[in-house]
Amino acid sequence: MDWKKQLSLILSKTLLVLLLVVMFSSSVIASQDDHKVWRIDFLNSLTGSVASIGNYMSWSAQRAAQEINKSGGINGKPLIVLEHDTGDSPEKAISEMAKIIDHALVALGPVPEVCIQAAMPMAVDRGLFCMLASTSYEVAVNYFPWSISWFPPTEEVLPGVTETWAEIHESLEKVIQFTEKQAVWPQMAEFHVAGLQTAGVKEVQEVEVPKDAIMFDSLAVKALSREPDGFILTCSPEKAAKIVISLQKQGWEDTSKILIFSSADDTSLYTTAGQYLNGCYIYNYIDPNSQNDRWISFREDYKKEHGGLEPSSLSTIYYDCVYMVKEAIEETGITGERDNLAKERIKIRDYCRNVKSFEGIQQTWDMSDGVPSEKGAFLFIIQDNHKEFVCQTN
Amino acid sequence: MILLYYFLVFTAIYILMGWSLYLPYRVGHLHFLPISIMAICAYFAGIASREWGWPFLLIIVVGMLIGLIISYGVSLLIGDAPCFTVVIVGLTSMFIVKTVIENWNLLGGSIGFFNIPSIRYLILWAYLLLLFMGYLMFLIEDSQIARKASVIFNDRKLAASLGIRSKKIALFFHSFSGILAGLSGILYASLIGGLTVDFFSFSIVGTLMAILFVGGYTCMWGVVLAAPLLGGIPILLPDMLIVWKQVIYGGLLIAMVCFRPQGLITRQQIIGLKNNLRRKYK
Repeated sequence: MDWKKQLSLILSKTLLVLLLVVMFSSSVIASQDDHKVWRIDFLNSLTGSVASIGNYMSWSAQRAAQEINKSGGINGKPLIVLEHDTGDSPEKAISEMAKIIDHALVALGPVPEVCIQAAMPMAVDRGLFCMLASTSYEVAVNYFPWSISWFPPTEEVLPGVTETWAEIHESLEKVIQFTEKQAVWPQMAEFHVAGLQTAGVKEVQEVEVPKDAIMFDSLAVKALSREPDGFILTCSPEKAAKIVISLQKQGWEDTSKILIFSSADDTSLYTTAGQYLNGCYIYNYIDPNSQNDRWISFREDYKKEHGGLEPSSLSTIYYDCVYMVKEAIEETGITGERDNLAKERIKIRDYCRNVKSFEGIQQTWDMSDGVPSEKGAFLFIIQDNHKEFVCQTN
Repeated sequence: MILLYYFLVFTAIYILMGWSLYLPYRVGHLHFLPISIMAICAYFAGIASREWGWPFLLIIVVGMLIGLIISYGVSLLIGDAPCFTVVIVGLTSMFIVKTVIENWNLLGGSIGFFNIPSIRYLILWAYLLLLFMGYLMFLIEDSQIARKASVIFNDRKLAASLGIRSKKIALFFHSFSGILAGLSGILYASLIGGLTVDFFSFSIVGTLMAILFVGGYTCMWGVVLAAPLLGGIPILLPDMLIVWKQVIYGGLLIAMVCFRPQGLITRQQIIGLKNNLRRKYK
């Protein structure tokens, strides 16, 4: 035989043997790990369009795991949060879900709606409880009882926020809402309108913000030409920032009559608009000025590791999720043994969906059939890139 | 196993969609209308199965009819138009469909459409339909109409001088492409069980272009080779590389255009293979 052929034969055989060894050893290591540690799989979006959100969610979930491990783990066993990057690709979400579907006790995520839609039917089909904490009730409810909603139905929270804001400004009669057609945002916009109408605002008009918009002066001029008394911004952080700047450049002076919605409360809002935000109202689900010790420590460490930036709006949710899973494991006597997997998945699911007086990092709340109660939103005024607490709305 | 299941069904969908782009390209039309048809038929499948409880076979038949009607109707208008016009019409149709879906609450708007019932033996359905469509494609490839399409692709004026009616030929290829796209949409909806308009955007254009031009646009087999490789990339690629998916597609496209413009499999290769086999078995 030709020496080249012999060499390639030897190389390919070696490669095959190595591959088999790696596959075998990794499966042995994995099965050994399963007995020694608690493992929570997190289908997160660490790359792609929502990677910035995914990264701080990852930070908070890992922080919770570190804290738990420092204080002795769960029933004496350490906890690892194993992250699987789905990006924002439905195919990748399916493939990552498929990798964990047969052995995971519980899963965190998926995060983007497009990944949730692609991967969750598999989780429902195979009975894997997934904590869809980053999305709204309206999305999570489609996968009940194999999912949990971290937020009450939007219609229960948002009207209260806009109603409160409108009542602070008694003279509001006509409000323009800038709306971007993205995931659940149009529905949120509808509930903003409901709250304004309850407060007596006579007219609410919509200006659609195109997803690919770069220049915002024309949108601002269009809105101002309708002679409104105030604005609500239901669009991405960068776009909200640019609209605030454009409105002021076009002559709008009373920034307190601008309300920014929760999903725009992200770093890029502040870095883009800076001082233009002074006086604007914003609502959110976490209060940065809370005096809870756990929160203070979380906030300080977050700022240290993120160049002085405040924790973002969704930064605490998976921190709380990890603690909720810990509580479920401890309270329901979960063993983590493979033979009991199906039963224990259900135990965790039922515990989390109906947990009472759960002490989150910011609030204490009850869950009832997967839906939280007593979880309101916080209203703030922005001053020098800081949020000053105004009130909590229910 | 479950990963393999998704991989195989996705591959079938990408082959069908690859063919639905390939067919109009046989007459020199780079047509993106099939993506819009895929979206329309996917949402139709969602409503028909979830709301109306239609059986899967009926959904398939009606879905393919919808694809046929839309593509035939559009082709009546642009069947003999130059490639650039067809590209513009295809892209515009994507914008129109996307906007309609985003603003229509019945279709779930921008939140998405959920809880589409799953289909038993979907993989069997997918591959039976793929084989059937593949057989039809094979017959077309070997027919006189395909040879006429090749003349149109190379030189429209020459085709006209030979008495080939390019609009009629385009009408046939566009219509069959619409049927394939409709079928892909139905299979996609049944596989995923939920729909968001974001899937039917420019990222799928990139994927399908890569499948068509890397695999080879001169015969039906290029798509068959490229669909599992490129369509499967998001499933098979390690986490750290997934972010580079579009770059990989783009890089491959540029490399193919530069070094092997006709793609990995060409018609000459297929003809050569056929001749060899004929000689061998004679």
